[in-house]
Amino acid sequence: MIQVDSVSKRFGNVQALSGVSFSAQDGKTTALLGPNGAGKTTLLRLLIGLLQRDHGSISIDGKDPAQDAIAVRKNIGFLTDQFGLYERLTTREHLVYFGELNDMKRQDIDHRVREVTALLAMDDIIDRRAKGFSQGQRVKVALARTLLHSPRHLLLDEPTRGLDVMSTRALRRTLAALREEGCCIIMATHVMQEVSHLCDDVIVIAKGKTVAQGTPSELCERTGIANLEDAFVSLVGTDEGIVA
Amino acid sequence: MSISYTKFLVVMRKELREALRDRRAMSVLLMMVVLYPVILWFALHKMIDLSSKGEHENIKVMMIGGVQTPTLLDRLKQKNVEVTAHTDMSDGEITELLHKHEYVAVIKISDKFTDNYTAMRPARIELWMDSASESQSKLRRVEGVLNAYNNTIAGARLLAHGVSPAILSPIQLQYYDTATNASRSVQFIGALLGMFFVTAFIFCMNTAMDSTAGERERRSLEVLLAQPVHAFSLTIGKWLATAALSVVGLALELLVAHFMLKWMPLEEIGMSWRVSLPMLFGMIACAIPLCLFAAAFEIALAMNARTFKEAQTMMSFALFLPMMPAIVVPMLDLNTATWMYVLPVLSNQTLLIEVAKGQNVGPLPYVLTIGSSLLAAALAAGFAAWRLRSEKYVLGV
Repeated sequence: MIQVDSVSKRFGNVQALSGVSFSAQDGKTTALLGPNGAGKTTLLRLLIGLLQRDHGSISIDGKDPAQDAIAVRKNIGFLTDQFGLYERLTTREHLVYFGELNDMKRQDIDHRVREVTALLAMDDIIDRRAKGFSQGQRVKVALARTLLHSPRHLLLDEPTRGLDVMSTRALRRTLAALREEGCCIIMATHVMQEVSHLCDDVIVIAKGKTVAQGTPSELCERTGIANLEDAFVSLVGTDEGIVA
Repeated sequence: MSISYTKFLVVMRKELREALRDRRAMSVLLMMVVLYPVILWFALHKMIDLSSKGEHENIKVMMIGGVQTPTLLDRLKQKNVEVTAHTDMSDGEITELLHKHEYVAVIKISDKFTDNYTAMRPARIELWMDSASESQSKLRRVEGVLNAYNNTIAGARLLAHGVSPAILSPIQLQYYDTATNASRSVQFIGALLGMFFVTAFIFCMNTAMDSTAGERERRSLEVLLAQPVHAFSLTIGKWLATAALSVVGLALELLVAHFMLKWMPLEEIGMSWRVSLPMLFGMIACAIPLCLFAAAFEIALAMNARTFKEAQTMMSFALFLPMMPAIVVPMLDLNTATWMYVLPVLSNQTLLIEVAKGQNVGPLPYVLTIGSSLLAAALAAGFAAWRLRSEKYVLGV
């Protein structure tokens, strides 16, 4: 459960966020929708405690990332849009490293490595070094790394960017399974199709503010437009940054 | 805030594992371990070669008009100088001959020599030589013969006038050299060995860049920062892993140099290497803080670069800073002073020179050498950790 209330953040002369409020429920996938530069990445970085907000409050299962970022991060899986890997480490070594950073015991790590390897079907690359991995293989490793410590919350920043159809489908399957398990998933995205397929809830932010929150169908009802994409355009007042 | 104090070990182990698999970093390390000792070997070997050659090889001199001075010819031959007689040559021909470096000098006796000699007027002998050539010691031998010849004639003439030749030597100069082989050689070897400590900055460079700028370039730093690890632990882990490479590299390099110096026939050039193995390990231990400083300094710098390439450019400039004192100060030829133990690199170099000379320096230089590097290391590492936490840095990741 993630609750955000009137959060604002300023970088010098740029007001990146000016009053964002929403709540993301456990067992649901919440889409974070907004044009480029709306403040999605800033918001995710505030949630994980990499940046400090100026005003407002954030609560992640009752914990404030500004107060105790370490405790909050233990329960968050964070997937950026960049799937940076260490070329000279094998997939397994990647996972062990991040497991240890998350205070997992060695036997728990081994157990979870087996689980995520099966989940993401990556037996073929588990003991290979990351150098020369395809984009799809990189995503799998990054995703495995994100899921390894069984986080209660997932923050995904444009997770499907640059993925082929097979990888996208694998990712969607994985997210659906995690939602069933009761994870609270927040996904920043541009892809409308993904929103209507995957997400239970949509938060629309524009110019650093929450413009609307609700299910896809509620948003359509509210704007009186049947198509979600058109509804989004009408909400933010621009069609910038949409991928159909 | 809950901080796990052992997480830096996790980071350190991973960075070391990556570094050991990094061909580029490892080949630089191996090359440097061997390179500097080899340079030292060549420099010393050349000196030994030259000095042993100088003893046995004949000195060749061209003589014009030598028939007028048979005594001088005899004296030159006695001193192992090979004399070739030649008819008159022009100035240009002599210059050309000397530039070929086959002859050390050309001695030209003027036609009027015998006339002046018998009339007891100063009789001229021309000594043609090339002061830019390498055979200066051979030239001094020839000069010595000429001077001795001069004195003998003067003595004989005085005697003929009933005056004792001793009147020409009112004082007698006797040299006593108290320099030992060790102290003489250390000035030379020490200057070369000082360069060895600079490599502390080179051994760790690749890893320092790879674990900071490289991590940014690969886009893995943001995820790493989002883990439940304090920025402090991340910095310490990366720092210690980087420094470890420097320590290993420096220790190997000094050991290679040490055994090489022990094995070389340094006595032939009047030098010796009397540093014992325990003393050497002491020196290596004193250099550990220097390695810590080198690693911290480079991490604090390289983390500001966005790519590995950018970091490399930064490094080449930044390396001059710690190297400057180690290169400039020995050039100034100053006496060893306490302040020298405060500057990293220079302090290690000075300490090694003093210890190799066999001086008992007392505890202060050790404390200063270790302390100054540790302080600098802590400042640089602290800066790196602070920077890693700052919002400005996170934004640029």
